[in-house]
Amino acid sequence: MKRNISAVALVAILLSLVLSACAVPAAAPTVDGGQEVDAQGGETTLLVWDIWTREADSQVVDQLDQEFEAANPGVKIDRVVKSFDDMKATAQLALSTPEGPDVAQINQGESDMVALVRAGLLADLTDYAAQYAWADRWDPSLVLRNSVKPDGSAYGEGSLYGMAPTAEFVGVFYNKDKFAAAGIEVPKTFAEFEAALAKLKEAGETPIAFGDLDGWPAIHTFSEAQGVFLGEEDPAYLDDFIYARGNVGFDNPANLKAAQKLVEWVDAGYFTPDFLGVAMDDAFQQFSAGDAAMFLTGSWVSGDLAAGPNADKMGFFLMPGSTEGARKPVVAGTSTAYTIRAGSEKKDLAAKYIDWMMSDRAMELFAGTGLVPVKGLPADKVAEGTLFADLIAAWDQVRSTNSIGHYLDWATPTFYNTITASLQELLGKQITPEEFIAKNQADYDAWLVEKGVKQ
Amino acid sequence: MSTSTAAPPRRGRPGRRRWTPFLYILPGFAIYAVFVLWPIVDTLRYSFFAWDGFTAPVFNGVQNYVDLLQDPLFHIALRNSLVFILFYSILPIVLGLILTMLLVRRRIFGLVVFRAGLFVPYILSMVVVGVVWRWIYNPSFGPLNQLLRAVGLDLLARPWLGDFTWALPAVGFVGMWVQYGFCMVLFIAGAQRIDETLYVAAKIDGAGETQQLWNITLPGLRGEISVALVTTLIAALRVFDLIFVTTRGGPGNQTTVVAMLIYDNAFVLNRAGYAAAIAVVLTLIILAISYAVLAVRMRYMSQED
Repeated sequence: MKRNISAVALVAILLSLVLSACAVPAAAPTVDGGQEVDAQGGETTLLVWDIWTREADSQVVDQLDQEFEAANPGVKIDRVVKSFDDMKATAQLALSTPEGPDVAQINQGESDMVALVRAGLLADLTDYAAQYAWADRWDPSLVLRNSVKPDGSAYGEGSLYGMAPTAEFVGVFYNKDKFAAAGIEVPKTFAEFEAALAKLKEAGETPIAFGDLDGWPAIHTFSEAQGVFLGEEDPAYLDDFIYARGNVGFDNPANLKAAQKLVEWVDAGYFTPDFLGVAMDDAFQQFSAGDAAMFLTGSWVSGDLAAGPNADKMGFFLMPGSTEGARKPVVAGTSTAYTIRAGSEKKDLAAKYIDWMMSDRAMELFAGTGLVPVKGLPADKVAEGTLFADLIAAWDQVRSTNSIGHYLDWATPTFYNTITASLQELLGKQITPEEFIAKNQADYDAWLVEKGVKQ
Repeated sequence: MSTSTAAPPRRGRPGRRRWTPFLYILPGFAIYAVFVLWPIVDTLRYSFFAWDGFTAPVFNGVQNYVDLLQDPLFHIALRNSLVFILFYSILPIVLGLILTMLLVRRRIFGLVVFRAGLFVPYILSMVVVGVVWRWIYNPSFGPLNQLLRAVGLDLLARPWLGDFTWALPAVGFVGMWVQYGFCMVLFIAGAQRIDETLYVAAKIDGAGETQQLWNITLPGLRGEISVALVTTLIAALRVFDLIFVTTRGGPGNQTTVVAMLIYDNAFVLNRAGYAAAIAVVLTLIILAISYAVLAVRMRYMSQED
């Protein structure tokens, strides 16, 4: 057994050498300081791995790093930027070595954060959360989705392991000109939303830009319809479902109604024609170019839409519930979470850094790049009538009604594959809504058994 | 560095001299062993463990293999991989032979250009090929559907990569487009090696083009065909990049292949042990098929003698 361990260690070292060589060093101020651990004593280097790859975001983080260094003499931030996929692939090895990052951005959910907690690689942040009063900055449901039982056996309860400064949520982007031309107001109920679809179709428009070649966009489309029916029947369902508490399954009336509704929309021709062969990027281009009236996706595309040809015509609203103002879950979450490596010797400093990334100053700078701060933003800091103003308003609505839902693919390790494939089959009319429900229920059941929640 | 080990051989025990050559390959072999042999052995070992890639592996005997046999996705992937043999192997060889007939023993203006042009798909990066064909197959603005609509064949236009019936053939066609160039170059080289006097003699005996093909060219290319068959079969069974770029296995699971399952299990689903078991089974299948092809070829060769 000993030989195995040394062999694994060898490969781990080789791999980490290769992989760390791939990492893109940010324009971090490592040059002027010279050596990492200063001979004069007192200088500490904090190694931070993040995934702020977008130019504007990356500049904000560099700015924040510099301000943090200025406020904390003797502290140096060594920042490494990685792509989302690269982080996913390298985090586990890096976090298990003593030279690994002190702070790393880790995706929430079963296959990343929970697996790393189970492996004992992430530090429990509960005490820091109390020290810095993070609960004041975060809604309780956001705390839960970054919480894991310390042994990794359950998600959505236990200790806090991550914090993230910006919010993401799924809703409806729309083209204001198309709405005006068809004589449509922003719908306040789901019935009005469907009436708008019919009206736009009649006017010869493509009501919803949609491309599901990549599989995942349909998850959001389904979730939008699901939220409406869950709002009617069981608003707490998604928490129970995602955290695998064993009292709910996928086979409930709301999910069936949502599946039936999507098929209805396919039959009515409300989506981009031949959407199963259309890539997400092409659907985005279609909407951005002004060739479709609506686009159901996450707030993360807002920056690209604002940089597109029809930026001033873009608006955003949350999918309305069955009655006006009805509480319904909205698929939402935070950006990837800042975590601390369990083996780090600079945990206190790392926590201070995370607190700085959650500060009002950080929120303000992130908002400047079009990202929605988790805390929201005072109205006087938002330009009226812009897409960003719609997003800020929508996030306030989500928070004030406490209706933060979940990404369905977090449910089980295999759920992403199961639901993307079965949604393509459902929308391609290969299976019935009932068969769609059964397929996903089978995946979910197997997971509950594996977790020991169910016999 | 290695010169120090290459001291002039002394008259000593013969065994010593016999080992000297192995010292020369040692550096290369060491790298090969660390990066190829060891991972293979390790993969085999992990296939007997339940391992999430994070925590300590737990030995579970042949459970991974038992699960694999009952995994409906594996059956679908295996079936799709077999369909890929048609597109990656059989059709490119047939097409390569036809092109060889057309391009060899004939004077065509600009022949070199044709040959080079036909070979280009093979040397393109598979990711580039995938991206280009994804665009060609685009339902609304892709050139293929536009062409079909332009000539009035609107009925044939479809979302190729999103069509439950046509996605697999559509991706397979791309594979054929990539592979035939390799077969063609191999066959052309082989055909040029065939003694010209055989054709002259055949013509004198009154053999037509077809008879020359069946009796001289094809037998003469037997070696090349078996090489092409083994290489393309392996390529067919381990196809991954093309699928990953074009469809990611969709729509539904219509284009899922075995290599895709390995990727999903190892890197997306954190089931490294199970992925290792699939990889071992895929390797065994490839070995078996390659061995079968070579065995048939050996039998032919011994018949010829």
